[in-house]
Amino acid sequence: MSPLLEVRGVTKRFEGLLAVDRVDLDVGQGEIVGVIGPNGAGKTSLFNCLSGLDAPTAGTIRFRGELLAGRPDRFTRAGVARTFQNIRLFPHMTAFENVLVGRHCRTRVGLASAIGRGPRFHREERESEARAGELLAFVGLGRLGGVVARNLSYGDQRRLEIARALASEPGLLLLDEPRAGMNAQETRATADLVRLIRDRGVAVAVIEHDMRFIFGLCDRVAVLVQGHKLVEGSPAEVQGDPRVIEAYLGAPTA
Amino acid sequence: MRLDRPSGVALPAAGAAALVAGSLSPWATFAGFPGKMSLGGFPGGARLFCLLLVAGSALFVVDTGGRRRAALAAALGAVAVVGLNLVALVDQGGGLGGPAWGAWLSLAGAGLLAAGAWRLPAGRAAAPDDWPARPASVEVAAVAVGLLALLGAVVWGLAINESSRFVSFLVFVGFTCAALHHLGLFTWLTVLFARRQRMAVALGGAAAVAFPFTQQGNAYWIRVFASIGVFAVAAIGLNVVVGLAGLLDLGYVAFFGVGAYVGALLANASLTTVHVHVPFLAVVLLGGCVAAVFGLVIGAPTLRLRGDYLAIVTLGFGEIFRITANNWDGLTRGPNGISGVPDLAAGGFNFGAAHSLFGVTLPGFANYYFVELALIAAAIVVFTRLNDSRIGRAWVAIREDEVAAAASGIDTIRLKLLAFAIGAFMAGCAGTVNAHLTTQVSPDSYTFLESILLVAAVVLGGMGTVPGALLGSTALFVLPEKLRSFQDKRLLLFGAALVLLMRFRPEGLVPSRRRRREFRDDAPAPAP
Amino acid sequence: MLGATYGLIALGYTMVYGIIQLINFAHGEIFMVGAFGGLTAYRYWLPGSLAGNVWVALPFVLLVAIGVAVAVAVLVERLAYRPLRNAPRLAPLITAIGVSIFLQEMVRLFYPGGKRQQPFPQLISSGTFAVGGVTVAWVSVFVVVVAVALMVGLQVFVKTTRTGKAMRATSQDPESARLMGIDIDRVIVVTFVLGAALAAVAGVMQGMRFAQIDFRIGFLAGLKAFTAAVLGGIGNLTGAVLGGFLLGIVEALATQYVPHGSSWKDVWAFVMLIGVLVVRPGGLLGERVATRA
Repeated sequence: MSPLLEVRGVTKRFEGLLAVDRVDLDVGQGEIVGVIGPNGAGKTSLFNCLSGLDAPTAGTIRFRGELLAGRPDRFTRAGVARTFQNIRLFPHMTAFENVLVGRHCRTRVGLASAIGRGPRFHREERESEARAGELLAFVGLGRLGGVVARNLSYGDQRRLEIARALASEPGLLLLDEPRAGMNAQETRATADLVRLIRDRGVAVAVIEHDMRFIFGLCDRVAVLVQGHKLVEGSPAEVQGDPRVIEAYLGAPTA
Repeated sequence: MRLDRPSGVALPAAGAAALVAGSLSPWATFAGFPGKMSLGGFPGGARLFCLLLVAGSALFVVDTGGRRRAALAAALGAVAVVGLNLVALVDQGGGLGGPAWGAWLSLAGAGLLAAGAWRLPAGRAAAPDDWPARPASVEVAAVAVGLLALLGAVVWGLAINESSRFVSFLVFVGFTCAALHHLGLFTWLTVLFARRQRMAVALGGAAAVAFPFTQQGNAYWIRVFASIGVFAVAAIGLNVVVGLAGLLDLGYVAFFGVGAYVGALLANASLTTVHVHVPFLAVVLLGGCVAAVFGLVIGAPTLRLRGDYLAIVTLGFGEIFRITANNWDGLTRGPNGISGVPDLAAGGFNFGAAHSLFGVTLPGFANYYFVELALIAAAIVVFTRLNDSRIGRAWVAIREDEVAAAASGIDTIRLKLLAFAIGAFMAGCAGTVNAHLTTQVSPDSYTFLESILLVAAVVLGGMGTVPGALLGSTALFVLPEKLRSFQDKRLLLFGAALVLLMRFRPEGLVPSRRRRREFRDDAPAPAP
Repeated sequence: MLGATYGLIALGYTMVYGIIQLINFAHGEIFMVGAFGGLTAYRYWLPGSLAGNVWVALPFVLLVAIGVAVAVAVLVERLAYRPLRNAPRLAPLITAIGVSIFLQEMVRLFYPGGKRQQPFPQLISSGTFAVGGVTVAWVSVFVVVVAVALMVGLQVFVKTTRTGKAMRATSQDPESARLMGIDIDRVIVVTFVLGAALAAVAGVMQGMRFAQIDFRIGFLAGLKAFTAAVLGGIGNLTGAVLGGFLLGIVEALATQYVPHGSSWKDVWAFVMLIGVLVVRPGGLLGERVATRA
């Protein structure tokens, strides 16, 4: 069976800087894949290509066998959702509304139906609201739905971003440093949440600096250094690889 | 409720007494100042407002939430009314001999009142439970009274013909609203209106329909309000673009112009260049559609641009429209425009003629006014329903963070185009009606300044709300009519007002809850 | 010729935009106010005996024009824009429009005879000379020379002086610049001052060129200068200058060679603006950033 996500030779060049260099990466159904690497290794640039925010200079991205290209909303509609390193919620909307926005590409109501308010409109709206409520509860924000997003605590904002991404019913969720700025306890909770997401049938790709977090969580880990993929393998293989140790020499590993 | 310390009341009481006495005395030493100011014994002209504001000083003896600030607002209102009239009296009466002793006494009284209010203990702020839930009948009555007060204020204000007195009236209304605001009345009314929305809307509609009947057949203000109606439809349309989708369109009036030209050309005007006559309703829809197509054509290449680039590009398109209309003699007859647009007629009913209803003769403009009420109602339905749907949520998301919106699966370009097209459609519909109302269409009605005026109406009223757009367009239309003696300085004041508005109340008079949060990051967050 | 004027004004737009991402709508009005400042200097403050002397009159007129424009620009920045530094972007843009209307009306209402066109003194003889069969007016030579000198001067200033470096740092990352001890408020004021000074010079030049000014000249000139700034890539000083010249040339050519060109004269700027933004949103020399947030 072909993998869920198939990345082949993806390259991203910014005016002379080679941010991502011919990266191949597969993510299978129900897998948690980690992407690690030193600062500036091109992890976020890679994710930007995978989510349609940037167009790769070269290479192809296939999801469920179909070629992905174009604007970000196509990627999301196809089933690749993401969160951002520096949280990007809709700050003046409530948590609940944020998640409802995530439902956008799975709902159909158009101009006429929104103005006419037929039974379809109400049915769809009720479904969306039920889904949003369920997802808020799932990430542990069940009682904070009415709070304006920017008033949520940092950790809650990260969880809300995940809920919003899940609302688009993705097959693959891209998490960009989901535990940045969290303490040990919150970090553990995040790892548990990622596993629960996987158990819902959503594959996950995670960027992280925190090695312990990655090695404890992921089925497979890819190491990016200066834009290209250095090593890929199980956490144990990657941990033992001398090239990885060399790349990280002098860099804090926890 | 308890009586305050007598010592604290002595000062304001003296002030109130002086103000009442002053208000019943002559203010002017010369005849001819509005409100028979040279006569005493009755509160003519602006003096009436002083008396009403004195009533605000009753708060001195009552311990209620927000008392100090409300009392202060009322007292300062009195100071402002007396002060402004003093200036006018000095100006018109040829120096300090102009105002009579009553005016000076009133000023002293108002000053004492303000001083007394200043010295009041701060007390507590108005709390929601100052206005606890009441039985349904009381609430319904409150909504009705609120709307009646609004209609009353409008009718009262319109009946004032002298600029100086109208300014006094505005000051009076402004400070009264401030006082009531500090008492928490508006918060309560907002809650009530939200809870009894259907009824409030119905009553509001009834008040709007009732308006022409209050004018005793006098066409002038009905005409003005007919113009406002056109403007309001366009403002609601622009509010979709600016208020909901967050796209600043500085050439919006071009869509209005497109509609107007379509309306004029297809209505068999006496100087048209296209000799067909299409029924009115079809023309309105056609005008809207043509404008919407223009919106799509303009939007498609430009909506990828960042916000402030978009503003300039739309401005450019607006100017191109105007210059084209000015030069394309074959279609638009150039700078002369198309005149002689006939009155509407539907099934033998001539919209231009006066009609009699319930024993009141309504001038022809009233018919247009009713047509526009219908259009406004339709625009409101479209606006509120879109706002409260996945489309509206997507617009807000785009406004707040376009990248995140796209990453959440929103086709941002498509939705922005949709907002553009809907806004253009509404402006186009309004434009066709305007062609009939003003009976002529010419390029100089569609300048950059008109676009700014529309933006200002939306911003002043409050972005993203229907009452805001209605209030904004009414204010921007009625004030220039009323302040004719400032005619020459109109634009100067307008420019200054825009700056001050952005500085002190960027969210507008009736902001949407979310917009308020955006403009006031320091605003207290609602409790979880 | 016209291009030089556009270029000078465009520099002001581009600098302000580079620093605080504000389209300073009122900048065209600063240009207009500068022209009126120069007119005032000539008409009311210059002793009649000196008025004929180019070497006294011209610098004096220019200096006063610059002084007036700078004073107005600093006031506008301080009173209208600074309080809105952190507001949503719509707010300062609308404020800028308000300021623009306000300044126009101030001149129209309160400048003696401001409602009509005012004759502007021809400080330089209206004489011409011929180079290889082409007639050139001395005014044109002066305008181009001054404009180029100022643009070069600005480049040198921004590249070499302490303040210039602070400006560049602020435009790239205000937060870091502040952490490095740069007084952002001062940098912004300096930016407005420089922009206003250049606009004032442009105003005087425009007056001399067309021999008359009125309160409306700022609006169109401002819009076209903004177009020039966008053409060159907003935030890019060289680009603004090139954009100005390019726009001036296109306008002159179009007016001359397109049938009925003169009645469509003002359209070209907008057509170019839209064309450039659509095809290359970052401008001719700019980075391709305009579509990203």
